[in-house]
Amino acid sequence: MIRYTIIRTLWIFIILFTVVSVNFSLLRLAPEYPPPTPEEQEIYYSRQVRDGLMTMRLERDSETIQGIKDNEIELPRNSFYFDEGDLLRIYEPVPIARQYVRWMGNILTEWNWGVSQTVQANVPVFTILQSRIPVTVMLNLVALFFYIPIGFALGILAALKKNSLTDNAISLGVMIFISIPSFVVMSILVLVFGYQLGWFPSQYPPADLRGMVRLYALVLPVLGLSFGAIAGLTRTTRAELTEVLTSEFLLLARTKGLTRPQAVVRHAMRNSMVPLVPGIIASFVGLLSGSVIIERIYSIPGTGRIFVNAMLANDYNLVIGITAFYTVISLFAVLLVDLSYGVVDPRIRMGGRK
Amino acid sequence: MASKDKKIRKIKEKPNQGFIDENISKSHFDFVQKDEKIFDKKFDTKPIGYFRDAMTRFAKNKTNVYATAILFFMIFLSIIVPMTTEKRFTGQEYELRFLPPRVPIVERFGIMDGKESVRDQQVDRSTIDPETNLGVPDADQFNPELIDYETLENYPLDCTSREERCYGGQNRLIIESDDDFVTLRSNHGFNFAPWENPILEIEIHSLTQGGTVELQLDFDGDEVFETFATIAEPGKHQFVIDDYVTDFTMPLSTQLQFRLSSADGSAELLLDAINVYHGDTAEEPATNIYGQPMSLYTIVDGSGSYNRRNAEILMSSFRYDRYAEAFGERTRTAVSTSGVRAILDDNTEICGLPEDYIEQEINLVNHEFPEGTGCPILNITSRRPAGSAGDIQFYNYTLIVDYAALRGYDEIPYFYFGTDASGRDLFALSWIALRTSLMLGVVISLINITIGIFYGAIEGYYGGKTDLLMERFAEIIGRIPWLVTLSIFVALLGPGFMTLIFILVFSGWIGISSVTRTQFYRYKGREYVLASRTLGAKDSRLIFRHILPNAIGTIITASILSIPLVIFAESTISYLGFGIGHGTSFKLLGVQFSGVSIGVLMADGRNHMFARPYLTVFPAIIISILMITFNMFGNALRDAFNPSLRGVE
Repeated sequence: MIRYTIIRTLWIFIILFTVVSVNFSLLRLAPEYPPPTPEEQEIYYSRQVRDGLMTMRLERDSETIQGIKDNEIELPRNSFYFDEGDLLRIYEPVPIARQYVRWMGNILTEWNWGVSQTVQANVPVFTILQSRIPVTVMLNLVALFFYIPIGFALGILAALKKNSLTDNAISLGVMIFISIPSFVVMSILVLVFGYQLGWFPSQYPPADLRGMVRLYALVLPVLGLSFGAIAGLTRTTRAELTEVLTSEFLLLARTKGLTRPQAVVRHAMRNSMVPLVPGIIASFVGLLSGSVIIERIYSIPGTGRIFVNAMLANDYNLVIGITAFYTVISLFAVLLVDLSYGVVDPRIRMGGRK
Repeated sequence: MASKDKKIRKIKEKPNQGFIDENISKSHFDFVQKDEKIFDKKFDTKPIGYFRDAMTRFAKNKTNVYATAILFFMIFLSIIVPMTTEKRFTGQEYELRFLPPRVPIVERFGIMDGKESVRDQQVDRSTIDPETNLGVPDADQFNPELIDYETLENYPLDCTSREERCYGGQNRLIIESDDDFVTLRSNHGFNFAPWENPILEIEIHSLTQGGTVELQLDFDGDEVFETFATIAEPGKHQFVIDDYVTDFTMPLSTQLQFRLSSADGSAELLLDAINVYHGDTAEEPATNIYGQPMSLYTIVDGSGSYNRRNAEILMSSFRYDRYAEAFGERTRTAVSTSGVRAILDDNTEICGLPEDYIEQEINLVNHEFPEGTGCPILNITSRRPAGSAGDIQFYNYTLIVDYAALRGYDEIPYFYFGTDASGRDLFALSWIALRTSLMLGVVISLINITIGIFYGAIEGYYGGKTDLLMERFAEIIGRIPWLVTLSIFVALLGPGFMTLIFILVFSGWIGISSVTRTQFYRYKGREYVLASRTLGAKDSRLIFRHILPNAIGTIITASILSIPLVIFAESTISYLGFGIGHGTSFKLLGVQFSGVSIGVLMADGRNHMFARPYLTVFPAIIISILMITFNMFGNALRDAFNPSLRGVE
């Protein structure tokens, strides 16, 4: 088990390192968009120099200055200059490999993730993320705790009443909700319950609004996030439980005199849970990425919305930060899944050796 | 047990039914084939092939058959509708924007009849009908003839702005905390003539305890305002001007000031109205100032704030015939001579003009255009010279046109799903979008399947170290969150068709490759593979001629189920604005595909979600039906071809 844990942990860190590195290097290749106003540009570029991602030099030769201004002399990609009459203050990015090392170093030593460019100019990326993460995580956790019991209940019901009217109805519902994209579900929910009926707010309330509205405002996004997840969980629960219910050890349990409920609860459920528990952990990642769309439709100030905004505003420093956040969360969920397999499945617990 | 006893009793009553009668003599039995050899005889029944068998299983589940029928009908529509739709329905035509859905037959029941429910439109107070007490909005915005008066309702809404459209309410004057008085001056003068015996009445809604209001007038025109009365109580207060003016023989014209003061520095005054009566017997005030005009008064001294409250704005809601408006009379200004001729050239006869009307130099402004002949121009109201070239004089005309006739519509067309922000027919657009979505789904799935099959085949066939390495690689690719892939491709390539393909192919092949890998592990050890290998077959021959054909059934059914997943992902990415969009298009197999997919339509609809829900609802219904039926079709295929997988999902 220890060996297995170590191998999986190491492996996840290898993937994490690869993804973050590739992500950083490729996004650094993309054209950079400086902050909108000159004052913000001043602050931004001096900060880039301080962080070691760029170097600054002064150009005094008037011919070279003219050449640069006329675009005859090419500066390195993503360079920027300030025109100060007879001299140019040129900011040039250092090679990407060195940028990467400095960036990693800044994160590891100072927890410095760089600053945003266009969305909220010169605000540290982590400060922006910090204000957004709680909303997203809270929303997803509520959705998680909402959908698990419902999904289980429906799945168990369908499996126990296999091929009955209930089962068919549930299967049809599952098919419908697993097929419809979440943005369609969310749009219809907002349209019907938020606007036409007016039961719930049609938009996420601003932060200064307190009281019951906050609670009501959670209903629609949680529903929008949950429908697909409920359908998925119902389907797997039904499949797993059906398989276990027809197995021989359950027949044995019945033969030795257990009643059906006893056999189902004590033997069938437990065994069918084995592959379900890791599946639920994995589903959290699905919820999290699904919440990007929900947050956009419902104007929820979470990480998903800021991701879309950052992408639309070409704020790649912020994008790197957000994607790193999503990568870390999803890979740790994967690690948790792997480890939970180890805990629940004796074949893996005995050691990864073949 | 009781029922079993009953059954036995029943059978005993009729011993020949159900029980074998042990008393049958041997002669009744006969061997079917005692001397015959039947093993090389042909079957009487027809053999059932693999596909026939699968079809039988497929047809067994009626729900899936219906779903498949609907799916194919939708695919059929997505091919037929874009081909038969007239180009003008899908081109931009801003005059026809936002027409609500209109469907024949259904429209008779009052739904989807091309009328739009309009809410919160400000009422033009001059239109209020004294009988019904209902008003309609300004005629520039909504043609009063097209309003459905049965659905017309008026209702007030709160309003705090100083605009004229708000009426009634009070105006509130407050002293800021750092001062002890504030002075408010009217922005207009009051004219008091001695022969009219003017009486000034101030209506005060409320005044805070301890606050006092001094009324000030400029009696001698020296811009110095003198206090003539002090009010400390709310209510109506009347002041006969004659009492305050010494020697009131000349008319007095002055502004009015309110000086609000308080001992403790906080006071609030709510003003209702200012009235001027002529004579103490007058019942109606000669001047009556309240509400909005009063809200324009300005603070001239001290510090405080002045704002409106409890004002109301009168709104109306009604159903409005958008189609009649869009296709009815429209005024066109500044139409050039050539523009008018372009309209008239094809319609000279029905417009009552001679063929050579240009040569005859007919002044079109004087021409009477006939009614009811279908002439696009109803009237030319004016023309202004717009320069000349040689002898020819050019004009700018102002026309009143019949829009339906102008655009060549014989009758008002039906837009089943309404029209979007650019005046395109949403019905046609939806099917075009569906075609794009389907085509992208199929093409991207094909790429994924090809890559997946190759990758999985190599993994599965070679196994060992190759398998391990390739599996790890696939795992890394598969573990990258889609947001990361999306951000990288969008940042480097910009949103568009290629980006969409890259994003969806990037990790899309992994599913197919793992199915293929499993199948290869299953078949690669079979005897026929071994036999072929012994005969010296190369790896490629073994993979593609021996193992793959056996595994292809499972792979194909898995592939078909991957198409809806791709459509799902494509519409999501396009919805977020990172995929294709309006104005883009791409060519596949010689057919030009529009860059509008269902996701793009949904994204358009989001901007008008509340005012025009049909822009969201119809595309949503179409993509939902497509996804549901596609998944059911895929599941049915899988159940039919691999009955062992049924229910495993």
